[in-house]
Amino acid sequence: MSEPTETTTETATEQGAGVLTQTPASGTGAVDLPQGDIEYRLHHAAPSLLPGEVIAHPDPIQYVIVAVVLSVITGIEIATSYLDGDIPTGLIVTLLLVMMVVKFVLVASWFMHLRTDRHVFRRFFILGTTAAVVLYAIVLAALHGIVS
Amino acid sequence: MATVDTTPDGAPARLTPGDVVPVDSGGQAELAHGAHEQPTGLANAKLAMWLFLASDCLFFGAFITAYLLYRDRSVSGPTPQDLFNIPFTSVTSFILLMSSLAMVLALAAVQRGDYRRFRIWILATALFGATFVGGQIYEFTEFTRKGLNLDTNLFGSSFYVLTGLHGTHVIIGIVWLMSLWGMSMQGRLTQGDSERVEIAGLYWHFVDIVWIVIFTVIYLLPK
Repeated sequence: MSEPTETTTETATEQGAGVLTQTPASGTGAVDLPQGDIEYRLHHAAPSLLPGEVIAHPDPIQYVIVAVVLSVITGIEIATSYLDGDIPTGLIVTLLLVMMVVKFVLVASWFMHLRTDRHVFRRFFILGTTAAVVLYAIVLAALHGIVS
Repeated sequence: MATVDTTPDGAPARLTPGDVVPVDSGGQAELAHGAHEQPTGLANAKLAMWLFLASDCLFFGAFITAYLLYRDRSVSGPTPQDLFNIPFTSVTSFILLMSSLAMVLALAAVQRGDYRRFRIWILATALFGATFVGGQIYEFTEFTRKGLNLDTNLFGSSFYVLTGLHGTHVIIGIVWLMSLWGMSMQGRLTQGDSERVEIAGLYWHFVDIVWIVIFTVIYLLPK
């Protein structure tokens, strides 16, 4: 009778790096679950992986938390825009752009599931956004003087 | 640590957030919807959507750049300061943001086979989107009434083209969502078709993040 073999497993972390762990193979092929309210998660979480995903989607409650964070940031953004004249314009611009990027990343990583998808999708999207920012920054810098 | 059983082929019977997934010797994670898996290990439709979104970034980037380039170059009014109603646009922006939440909740519902909730959330997403478009039509009507047309000045041209293009994307998204809702009503959209909802969701969230950029750059940044 042969010894039970080990199964290599992979999880995607928030940092994007895959983490390889070893779990003993058994007749039921058990897999590890994170600590927490397992009963809730079993009844509310998405049950299966979609093509291209390496870990399951977040709980609905996590989606709601992200939406609340996005709403709060939006509120702060709007309030910041009304500070024009009270604080330096450069600071307002910086704050607004930082909050915009945070909202962008939150939606892309949580709602578009870039956290849980294969990294190749993330690379495509980062390539597209980076190319757009770099290309049009160059265009703006080059044409600003010409147009004015 | 808690564990769950797997199906005979080794895939977890019910995955929850953070579950680890068996990887075969070729390094490919096993997929619950194996029928859609391609030799590359990637779903073609999803890959195509991501490529489209990457190209759409460049597309919107061109119009945002054009707006920034022409923003303060108009020789005659009206100007953004004369027209923008930040509280109103903030409300419509918030509605579009919440439509993204409804979209992911619709996806989560169809993935667990809860078709009734899926239809509620997908309809809510479309209604939020329609409300946003309604707000945009109202805004355009107000601007036109105050004298800003497509050919009035550089601001009018670049503003209407950029926001109109985004609005067109939203309208296409609404039609797409309603088609999914219709398919579900006819029983033609099942748990196994979750990928279709996921791809529609990618498009919808992209429309949302483009508006996140437009809202900040066009409406909120100091003039």
